[in-house]
Amino acid sequence: MAVFLQSLISGVLIGGVYALIGIGLTLIFGVMRVVNFAHGDIMMVGMYLTYLLFTLMGIDPFVSVLISFPLMFLFGGFLQKVFINRVLNAVAQNQILLTIGLGLIMSNTVMLIFTSDYKILTTSYSSSTIQVGGGVSVSVPLLVSFLITAAITAALGWFLLKTDTGQAIRATAQDRDAAQLMGINVSRMSVIAFGLGAALAGTAGALISPTYYIFPQVGSTFTLKAFVITVLGGMGSVVGATLGGILIGVTESMSAVYISSGWKDVVVFVLFLLVLLFKPSGLMGKSRT
Amino acid sequence: MRKHLLALGAVLALSPCLLAQKIGVINSMSGPEAPIGEHITNGIKLAEEDLKKKGINLQLVWEDDTGKPQISMSAMEKLATRDNVVGVVGPYTSACSNAVAKLAEKYRVPLLIPAAAKEEITRQGLKYVFRMNAPADKYASSLIDAASSLGKPKTIAFIYENTDFGTSTTKTAKEYVAKKGMQVVADEPYPKGAADYRSTLAKVKSKNPDLVFMVSYVADAILLMRQSKEVGLQPQAFLGAGAGFTTPEFAKERAISEDVISCTQWTGDVNWPGAKEFEARFKAKFGKEPTYHAACAYASMIIMAETAKKAGDRVKTRDALKAGKWNGVMGEVQFADYEGFTNQNNHQMLVQQIINGNYETVLPAKFATKKAVFPFPKWK
Repeated sequence: MAVFLQSLISGVLIGGVYALIGIGLTLIFGVMRVVNFAHGDIMMVGMYLTYLLFTLMGIDPFVSVLISFPLMFLFGGFLQKVFINRVLNAVAQNQILLTIGLGLIMSNTVMLIFTSDYKILTTSYSSSTIQVGGGVSVSVPLLVSFLITAAITAALGWFLLKTDTGQAIRATAQDRDAAQLMGINVSRMSVIAFGLGAALAGTAGALISPTYYIFPQVGSTFTLKAFVITVLGGMGSVVGATLGGILIGVTESMSAVYISSGWKDVVVFVLFLLVLLFKPSGLMGKSRT
Repeated sequence: MRKHLLALGAVLALSPCLLAQKIGVINSMSGPEAPIGEHITNGIKLAEEDLKKKGINLQLVWEDDTGKPQISMSAMEKLATRDNVVGVVGPYTSACSNAVAKLAEKYRVPLLIPAAAKEEITRQGLKYVFRMNAPADKYASSLIDAASSLGKPKTIAFIYENTDFGTSTTKTAKEYVAKKGMQVVADEPYPKGAADYRSTLAKVKSKNPDLVFMVSYVADAILLMRQSKEVGLQPQAFLGAGAGFTTPEFAKERAISEDVISCTQWTGDVNWPGAKEFEARFKAKFGKEPTYHAACAYASMIIMAETAKKAGDRVKTRDALKAGKWNGVMGEVQFADYEGFTNQNNHQMLVQQIINGNYETVLPAKFATKKAVFPFPKWK
């Protein structure tokens, strides 16, 4: 029972961070219909930003979110305006090539600057835990990052539902042409959406760095994960991505315990294929014609 | 006149000895293996210096294999045919060494491999191939022997990277454990780079193993130990067989690395003749702590040069290497045939433990500087 609870808890907590990556990707896809294959690399940039702030200025990784969020927002906005915007109406292959290319440039630039060595952030609480009883423990940094994730997701939900800009973003996601006809500045919404997506990915990178390690190629693992989460939850659905992230986190840790750690990726992808087979639009997705 | 002719004849006959003998070095001086290759290079440079003091002037022919077997092979061809070397020290990696070994046999050039781990290299009955370091299977057996000598462990759990490196090390370890009558209670290969090992570790914890045996590189080694602490995995000993448990980076993480046991070919504090001086001089000259590769390379070059100097040609050098016995920074060295190995130095592995953030040799007792901490203290 303790093993079950332990893996459930760590699955949910790590799933929270996965969700944050997925939400960023789904937001970008929803508004622009572009699958951002550089998403994991943007997250990687966020990780290195956190690393720099921590080693050079001694800013705690969790506090540094306050700095990296706006910086990553600007970075994302810049990418959208200069690169992504030009391929919005191009065929899908070209969009994919562009985002993959951007990702390669990011990871290789970082490799030139920082070399391909693994970096580990060691904070005073990196391996501290809270005992919840019954032999089950909760990692403090993971719990904190989960709480921050929850707060950011709630704030994002409020922003999308209640503010004018948020509604404009949702309108653009629903129907780009109609939104434009209603007087919404869709290209500005695109910049905001990509900025937000990048900021969320960067934040996820910052949140995971106290418990994970950092290297230039770390992005590809998370791009794939984000992609699975987004499709599983339904492309463009924020709630779906949240659910998908937690579902993947729990599936990974459960299958590591009850099947084998070596097989956990297989289980995740089988689950993914099953969902696509029975509900092709994803858990929360509405099929669009 | 006759006297002069005789003298001339004598000079001509001796001339191969008067000319400095050429010894080849194949090493990975650039490419991905370069950081370790640098230690090997520096070890050999230090050997060159010491040999000069003893009056042996070496003419070394350096070849860079960039870590690629095919380049290593062409380097060997060149050394054997064009440079006419009397012997070769190198290469570094297992893949390169394995490729070059067969060529050394073909050209009948004595090859002394300083630090490649793959067992197969000296298991092919090659007469001209010698190896200084202990092969890979020794890592597992010396760690498990160490744990058995410290306590009475009955159960063991394996956690390892699901790559060639992780699975092959674990496979030999499992065979050894079976012979010792220990029970394997958990066998957990993991995909490299997973963010969360907590569930795997919780599962291992529920089996309550006496020993936890891990094979991983640096970053995963730190993550695994951090998360072991989180879930409260508490065996009698953590045994780190992989590269990740023997690095300064790992030792620096004192909250989680303290008292972890690992093993290595060589340490700076071992009481083998000249080891401590070697470490001090290496540090002074190159500004870095030597790794075991440096010591292996140093000892290999000293042995190769002294033997070749005495023997003269390739065949005699081979015979002298086979017959000889040395005692130096790597302890006692003898190239023997045993358990299917040919010309393999049955090197004594050292078991080390991180005590107060430093690697300290704890076993075997006669080489140890500190007493081992056993069982593993309760997590704070």
